[in-house]
Amino acid sequence: MNILVCLKQILDPEVPVRDFAIDASGLQADPACANQVTNIFCENALETALQLKDLHGGKITLLTLGPESAEDALRKGLAMKADEAYLILNDTEQLPDSAATAKALAAAIDKLDAFDLILAGRESGDWGAGQTGGLLAEELSLPFTAFVDQISLEGEERLVLRQQTDSGWKSFSSPKPTVASITNSDHNLPRIPKTRDIIMANRKPVTTWSLEELGISQDSFPTQETKARVRQLSIPEAKSDCEFIEGDSVEEKIEKLADKIAAIARAV
Amino acid sequence: MMDHSEATREVLWNISNGWIMYALLVPTAAIGIYGIWKRFQSWKQGLPAEGRLDNPGKRLRFLWQHALLQRRNMRQRFAGIFHAMIFWGFITLTIATTVVMIDHDFGIPIMKGAFYLYFQSLFVDVLGLLALVGVALAGYRRWKTKPTKLVYTDEASMILILVGIILATGFMLEGWRIVATNDPWGAWSPVGYATGIVSAQFFSVETLIQFHLWCWWFHLVLVFGFLAWAPYTKMLHPLTSALNIYAANLEPVGASLKTIDFEKAETFGVNALKQFTWKDLLDLDACTECGRCTDACPANTVGKALSPRDIILDLRGWLHEGADDEFKLIGSTDSLESDRLFECTSCAACVDACPVSIEQLPKIVDMRRFQVMEEAEFPETMQQAVNSLEERQHPYSGSQFSRADWMQELDIPHASETDDAEVLVWAGCGASLVERNQKSIRSLARLLKKAGVKFSVLGRDEKCTGDVARRIGNEFLFESLAKENIDNFKKHKVKKVVTACPHCFNTFRNEYPQLGADFETVHHSAYLGSLINEGRLKITVASERRIAFHDPCYLSRHNNLTEEPRDLLNSTSQVAMTELPRNRQNSFCCGGGGGMSFVDEPSDKRVNHERAREILNTDADTVAVGCPFCTTMMEDGINATKGDRKIEVREISELLDEACNGESNT
Amino acid sequence: MSDTNFKVITAAFSQDLNAATAGLLGAGQRLANDAGGTHIAICCGSIDSTLSTQISAFGDRVIAIDSEPLARAEPEAWLSCLRSISAQETPDAILLGNDTLSQEITPRLAHRLNGASIGDAQSVTIDDGAIVITRSVYGGKAIADIELTASPAVVWIRAQSMDPADKNAAPGTIETVPLNESADLQSHIIDTHDEVSEGERLEDAQIIVSGGRGLGGPEPFEELVSLAKVLKAQNAASRAACDLGWVPHSWQVGQTGCKVAPQLYLAVAISGASQHTMGIADSKAIAAINTDRDAPIFKHCQFGLVEDFQQVVGPLRDKLSDLL
Repeated sequence: MNILVCLKQILDPEVPVRDFAIDASGLQADPACANQVTNIFCENALETALQLKDLHGGKITLLTLGPESAEDALRKGLAMKADEAYLILNDTEQLPDSAATAKALAAAIDKLDAFDLILAGRESGDWGAGQTGGLLAEELSLPFTAFVDQISLEGEERLVLRQQTDSGWKSFSSPKPTVASITNSDHNLPRIPKTRDIIMANRKPVTTWSLEELGISQDSFPTQETKARVRQLSIPEAKSDCEFIEGDSVEEKIEKLADKIAAIARAV
Repeated sequence: MMDHSEATREVLWNISNGWIMYALLVPTAAIGIYGIWKRFQSWKQGLPAEGRLDNPGKRLRFLWQHALLQRRNMRQRFAGIFHAMIFWGFITLTIATTVVMIDHDFGIPIMKGAFYLYFQSLFVDVLGLLALVGVALAGYRRWKTKPTKLVYTDEASMILILVGIILATGFMLEGWRIVATNDPWGAWSPVGYATGIVSAQFFSVETLIQFHLWCWWFHLVLVFGFLAWAPYTKMLHPLTSALNIYAANLEPVGASLKTIDFEKAETFGVNALKQFTWKDLLDLDACTECGRCTDACPANTVGKALSPRDIILDLRGWLHEGADDEFKLIGSTDSLESDRLFECTSCAACVDACPVSIEQLPKIVDMRRFQVMEEAEFPETMQQAVNSLEERQHPYSGSQFSRADWMQELDIPHASETDDAEVLVWAGCGASLVERNQKSIRSLARLLKKAGVKFSVLGRDEKCTGDVARRIGNEFLFESLAKENIDNFKKHKVKKVVTACPHCFNTFRNEYPQLGADFETVHHSAYLGSLINEGRLKITVASERRIAFHDPCYLSRHNNLTEEPRDLLNSTSQVAMTELPRNRQNSFCCGGGGGMSFVDEPSDKRVNHERAREILNTDADTVAVGCPFCTTMMEDGINATKGDRKIEVREISELLDEACNGESNT
Repeated sequence: MSDTNFKVITAAFSQDLNAATAGLLGAGQRLANDAGGTHIAICCGSIDSTLSTQISAFGDRVIAIDSEPLARAEPEAWLSCLRSISAQETPDAILLGNDTLSQEITPRLAHRLNGASIGDAQSVTIDDGAIVITRSVYGGKAIADIELTASPAVVWIRAQSMDPADKNAAPGTIETVPLNESADLQSHIIDTHDEVSEGERLEDAQIIVSGGRGLGGPEPFEELVSLAKVLKAQNAASRAACDLGWVPHSWQVGQTGCKVAPQLYLAVAISGASQHTMGIADSKAIAAINTDRDAPIFKHCQFGLVEDFQQVVGPLRDKLSDLL
């Protein structure tokens, strides 16, 4: 199996509220306010790919679009035992939207060998749009399944993809090659790389492509391709109109709390 | 009155063909020495151990204290005393035998006169009796009271029986000789004399002479047999334990973990015997199976499976079996199962308890290293902590706090903003990212301000010292965090660091210097104490709290720092402190060290609950803590077990802040 | 501004008029009304089915399609169906719900129509002729207004938390369309497994009793379960509690878990990290029990109690079982 996994490096979703800041453009987070980390769903995707490789052999290629720092995400992926890594260098400060990202990824995938399976994370922990996987499938004119948490082979030509749904799961049969967005489950917790593999990963090559090399104009990226334009980004004010239940004793307070809860419960 | 200067006895009385003894000595020595040689060979397969044979003066003093004077051994009264009786008895008997040899075989007549009477007869007799009583007490423990910490093997029973018989037959031989020769100095050997007198009530002198002859050879065969056999049993410990004590870690326990050269090391961590150092392997043979390590182990105490004793014994088993280079230790026996290794809180109670300086903890960490770095197989919640350390340089995945939160409105300069700071206050992850502990570190900052101390902080530039990573077993991560911090200290020309976290303290003090750090580190309890002594801080409202201090392992056992916090706490209250049953170096872990803060323990096997119950059994109304891990673990433990009891967990600075400012809760 | 050519399509995949469908229709109707245009509601069923009749109360036009693959919720079938209807109708906006199917086909439909796509919209409005949505980003730490610059705008919305539509003065027309597309699906469903009935889904829960790391272990969750029983509520948990293995991951509410919109969300010993609160932001009422008055959770609460949960949960359950 030849698998491509798209990774995204994002602002640490765990950045404490007080550290979170918006940059000078006013349209995205200040990258300096926290570390950059690999999006968790992308790691779930890589783990899913690694498990397929463990079972059936093959090769895993990593692909990301981002600034130079995004190489860290690729290195971590290599340490987890992916085979190759490609970085589409985007040194513009503006974060590309899903449409622009999908275009760039698709252009890079066209340049690479054919894949049996292309995986992306279900959504990213920064903007969380959840669009890139589906858009990428369309760019490549391939079938797509979202919220996948398990993949298995169905003969030589097809794959079975298990999708987490609101109420349980559905299995899809899809011809190879296919695109899937991966969600987290108990089965795809990203493995912890071994120290020796971390050291070795730092010595592996990472191929960097410029947007120009992919036939995308460096100057107009990502504005040209953008279809979801951020007009405004604001930090919500923490309103605090909580009514604290007071009372002379715990019993009294519990009584008051129970009354309030009961009032709502009766209305339901 | 007889002339004392004439006093002596005939050596080899009643024995003809004495040459047989010398002839038997050859195979005895050969078998025994071969056994010892084999042990030496097995230690030699280990890696080099640095700094274990330096400083002979200090080492000999250490040997004197703990081998000859049995200091550590005596910490346990009953076992300590009977062991010392046997030990000193045999030391004396060995000297007495040597005296006989010098006198008889070398022809130097020293066994006579007052020396013969006072030492060779009276003293040796009394010590021999003590040894015999010691053996009886040991037997009483082994066969009657049967504490669980002991290992019940036939070998151990056999040794005890043999030693008992050797001692007893010695007295018989002496007694019968005295009676038969009508030795005028007989009464100087009271035990032997009494044995002889009693025997003479039942047997004729001729019979006793016959008994003596047979008994002498019996005694000789037993002694020689014992000498030949001992090197193949735990009875080699008089040699191995002494060597081990000599080669002990003379640094604080907190400095006992080894660094790894990641460029050169073939394996990260240990999963085969030859990956240990020779000192680690010597440790295994030094073990006397006393079980004190497992008895002291907090994880074991609360019912977990971890047993440092069994780890050492199982490793020793493989060493004796001659396990080959490829043999994988982890998982090879129950006690070496990976799960158990990850139950260790790194509290070092085992290391501290060991009378013969065995270092169990570094071996556990060595094997953890293998699991973490080579296998990447360790508890999931620890993995999360490690992952968080990699991504955001603190172990608290999910913390909503920033490292700067605690210092809001306190107006503390960053190290880059000031040149004249006396000290740098290192908050640490535990204080800055766990809400409860922000109160403590804020109290510390307020106290320093009140004392007029000029101090700075690193704020957002603090990174975990790496303690958590190192104890979990990720040495690679520890090293990278440590180097980043050291660079940062150098950049800001930091000379002195005050920290409220004993784990940070230990890492700075004992581990960073190995990586090139050069600054002084003080625990806040000592620093605040010095501010009081200098008059810079004054107690204004001493409380009426009955305080019990819960010693943090990383202060007490790892760094021998026990009195500074007590002095400080004593000054905050008008009421005398109360001591917990397990205090100072004997403190019982809160359960939070070694990465265990990040592990969800089974509800019926929680170390903090065990400690909390101990605290609740005292009359304390306040538990003072001096470590952020302890604060949260003890607060959880106390809250879960206290019922209606009114008792609070307060950090040292909070109590002092209260005593200096009249409040602490902001 | 009135643009009678403005068309909004809403596509509901559910077989009945549940809260999510009602919210979706409401959002579509309001958007169409704002523009002065038409709201076309698409549903799966025959032209005279109960559902299409019900929906006609809220749409200017209803397109009811009776097809086996659509009823089976085959994504590719719905994709080609919606694509062909959209090619016919040239809508300005296509709104979908927050079910799995909607989320899956949103980007693909947009791409096939050369439009723009976005998900998890909390509001959809027209501003200066442009379709602008509001959504929570950066794990709830920021709110973004996003303009969809290509047409149609394909948006899946938080349908459950949207107000339902007002009934039209007169029911809309109900029509159907022939499906020309071949039913040859590249990727298709081979198995479906529902683990929870709809009533048990956290997303649909009316009352949720949730616990966090502050509970200190798995045992106190048992108390929360018994409290939930009294309230006929569902149980949930913060990510920390799930990650620690105290409760199953399916209980997890927040950015990476489930996003809920109950009438009451009772947070016990949850401090309120933004990743968690963004999953409960659509709750009608939030209440919390926490020892720390400064815990961020209280900033999202209508009412709260500053007490140790251990002293509260048991008596609260007893009290409530008397009251209810």
